Amino acid sequence: MALENKDRAATLECVDDFDEINRLYRERRWSDGLPIVPPTVERVGRMLRQTRRAPDELVTRVAPVYGAATIERIAINGVMAGCDPASLPVLIAATEAVSDPAFNLQGIQATTNPVAVWLIVNGPLAMTLNINATFNCIGQGRWSNATLGRAMRLILQNIGGALPGEMDRATQGQPGKYTFCCAENEEASPWEPLHVERGYGRERSTVTVVGAEGTLNMNTHSKDAAELVRVIAETLVHPPSNEYVHGGEPWLILGPEHAEILKRGGLSKADVKQRLWEESRMPVSRLAAKEIERARASRSDELGELSPDVLLPISPTPENIMLIVAGGPGTHSVYVPCFGNSRAVTRVIDT
Amino acid sequence: MTKRGKTALTVCSTAFVTLGRAQARALGDTNLPIAVIPHPFGLRTRQEVREIASTCVDQVVQLVTGGTR
Repeated sequence: MALENKDRAATLECVDDFDEINRLYRERRWSDGLPIVPPTVERVGRMLRQTRRAPDELVTRVAPVYGAATIERIAINGVMAGCDPASLPVLIAATEAVSDPAFNLQGIQATTNPVAVWLIVNGPLAMTLNINATFNCIGQGRWSNATLGRAMRLILQNIGGALPGEMDRATQGQPGKYTFCCAENEEASPWEPLHVERGYGRERSTVTVVGAEGTLNMNTHSKDAAELVRVIAETLVHPPSNEYVHGGEPWLILGPEHAEILKRGGLSKADVKQRLWEESRMPVSRLAAKEIERARASRSDELGELSPDVLLPISPTPENIMLIVAGGPGTHSVYVPCFGNSRAVTRVIDT
Repeated sequence: MTKRGKTALTVCSTAFVTLGRAQARALGDTNLPIAVIPHPFGLRTRQEVREIASTCVDQVVQLVTGGTR
């Protein structure tokens, strides 16, 4: 893991012209397709002042090229994405998180699957950085959400080397590959927030990375907990699913109103997971023959012989079904189908 | 495997050769032999797969015995 010269950020001398600099970044494929903020020595320096760690400290290496994610290189990509300097600790923690073997970044970066990296921020820093957890929290409009998610993508592309059509083999990809970041609406949640569920103190700030295939909205006006569980469970069930094939980790963003209905129905977060796990089991016969073969290759140790009448659970255990509460008022929740061969990773943000 | 002194080789379909070469380079083995098979694979009949495998074996032998890479 020693740092070599090629691992250090280079300094380029350019004409001080926004268009010229962006032309250079476009030619070298150092952007995501949108204009970047020129990462001048001054801007990067301002961001580096947000950490006590040395600029050339190696945080991790990022697959698939195993590029060196130094503090400085993370900051450069943060500046390019338009991040406020105070965002740097989030980016450092997120870069560490995606490199955890459980996340399977090699697979996520090089797959034909559209998987994007979704960042979820929990704890007090989410409010300090003004990360949206309410109205339109995975939509446009809030600077931190937009730039943090974008910076993660630039890190994955520029340090990890996953350029579309080259090492990033995504067949179509998805809009979330530009940016995908939100906070949990902890105040509106009737349950413990994600980072507390994952063993951290409520006062800590964390970032969780998720390998997300996309988002599917669920609009139901149901006011009955059992009925709400049923329709959400039925949404999870779809035969061409990586999660059923591999035994995945599906995610849900429950709107506060839906979460409240479930809570009033007497369900804890663990109860919701258990009920969804039971009610989303799918007969093996609904899968295409090729997917049955893939599921057999992937899950026989877990489930034994997968005969057509076996009920296939979406994940190995109910605990693998993950949920946060986020969004504003309204009768919407979101199913976030995931990559299957990946597990979310949470890291404390060291400020 | 190469770093451990073993003969190693990767088989890639044409759609993944760029990734395979870049990955090998990133992991410090720019000369990793890669046998290439046609893409896509999923629609092939068993007979076609056997024919591809048969051709691929020749490629593999050539690559690991010092033929062109």
